[in-house]
Amino acid sequence: MSGRAVFRGLLVIAFALLVQMTVVLDVRVAGASPNVMFLLPIAAGVVAGPVEGAAVGFAAGIAADLLTPTPLGLSALVGTLVGFGVGAMSGSLVREVRGLPTLVALGASAVAVMLYAVLGAVLGESQFLHVDLAAVVTVVAVANALLAGPTVRLMRWALTPPAERSSAGGRR
Amino acid sequence: MARVARPRRSRRTLSTLVVLVLLSVTIITLDDTGHARFFTSGVKSLASDVYSPLRRGVNGVLDPIGRFFAGAVDYGSLERENQKLQDQILTLELRKSTDAAERRQLAQLQRLLATNKLPSVASLSMVAAEVTAQNVSNFAATVSVDKGTDQGVRLGDPVVGPGGLVGEVVTVTHQTATVRLLTDGKSVIGVSFGHQEEATLQGFGAGHALQIDYVPSTAAVARGELIVTSGLQGAALPPGIPVAEVTSVRSVVGAADKQVWARPVADLDGLSYVEVVQWSGSS
Repeated sequence: MSGRAVFRGLLVIAFALLVQMTVVLDVRVAGASPNVMFLLPIAAGVVAGPVEGAAVGFAAGIAADLLTPTPLGLSALVGTLVGFGVGAMSGSLVREVRGLPTLVALGASAVAVMLYAVLGAVLGESQFLHVDLAAVVTVVAVANALLAGPTVRLMRWALTPPAERSSAGGRR
Repeated sequence: MARVARPRRSRRTLSTLVVLVLLSVTIITLDDTGHARFFTSGVKSLASDVYSPLRRGVNGVLDPIGRFFAGAVDYGSLERENQKLQDQILTLELRKSTDAAERRQLAQLQRLLATNKLPSVASLSMVAAEVTAQNVSNFAATVSVDKGTDQGVRLGDPVVGPGGLVGEVVTVTHQTATVRLLTDGKSVIGVSFGHQEEATLQGFGAGHALQIDYVPSTAAVARGELIVTSGLQGAALPPGIPVAEVTSVRSVVGAADKQVWARPVADLDGLSYVEVVQWSGSS
């Protein structure tokens, strides 16, 4: 990743964190609120591949962990694994086909929430399994699927060099 | 050429993953270790100090928009809340006539507290705080408040709201604090009921009933009974704060303990202002 991509990536993470901690927290459906911080590594993985997906997942996870009363590093671990997984599995097909990132965001967000709950329980936070996991998984996955389009565009702006971005725009 | 580059790139990809995973695991371990936890909570506190003014500023601008969307999504619950408030008004109107009797009852309770020499919460210093965020994570029942160490809030301070105990301060920065609610899965507090029977009250997550453990099968406890903090020697909370109301009691044949469930007396879902009791410094 170039210095420019790192700077823009951090800018996107800071913006997403602000949105998460202000507007998104007020939206509660069935007792659960969306989590856009899990969407960032998914979008980065789709746009730029596994290394960038893992790096964005780590940074976004640490940023989220610093402001929540949950174990520091847990979101970073989940973000790293999910970003890497999405980047490794999404080939050029996901990047080119319109609508496919939405489905990837839906599935990967659900996996991220479940992974977070299970890893948390393994690390001694057994209360993570007492929450209404079905509601949390559904709310986070659906919200992230709806927000996948703009987030992928934002990540493309942050991580893709201008030359590649304009050629990708041309293909669409 | 591409055939040579691919394994090298693949190795770099895998090594990035391994490094980041190891780094995450190291941070988790440090956060869970006694001495290092002091450092990680310091970093969290610093991050919160830097971020809080930004969040307050954005909240000031975006709150009306957020509330609009929340209202649109949660219209059903708003209707239920409206109905609940109307019911409360009716109940209060019915109670007006019994106000004098209640005042007498209150005076009796105050005398009882004085007789037992229990330190009353009212005699302790309190810091009024506004709730700035609720449940910042789907996996923890917490609220954030706008008062911190600069205003005298300390780690472990009990927090009370309208009706009774809300929870205790689990992280504190210069200007903010995070309060773990009674309903959080990590919340365990010492309580008492009836004729000074002692038990522990445990949370099971937001929206779930509270469980009262270690209630002997011989103990007299009934539905509707008020549970208060026990305040045993060295307890984290002062005694006598109303905590919960018993909602169900079940006796199992042959079991040493009763299964008792309760609900918080404070409305934890609708918190706007709370009082932080400056207790940890006085204990």
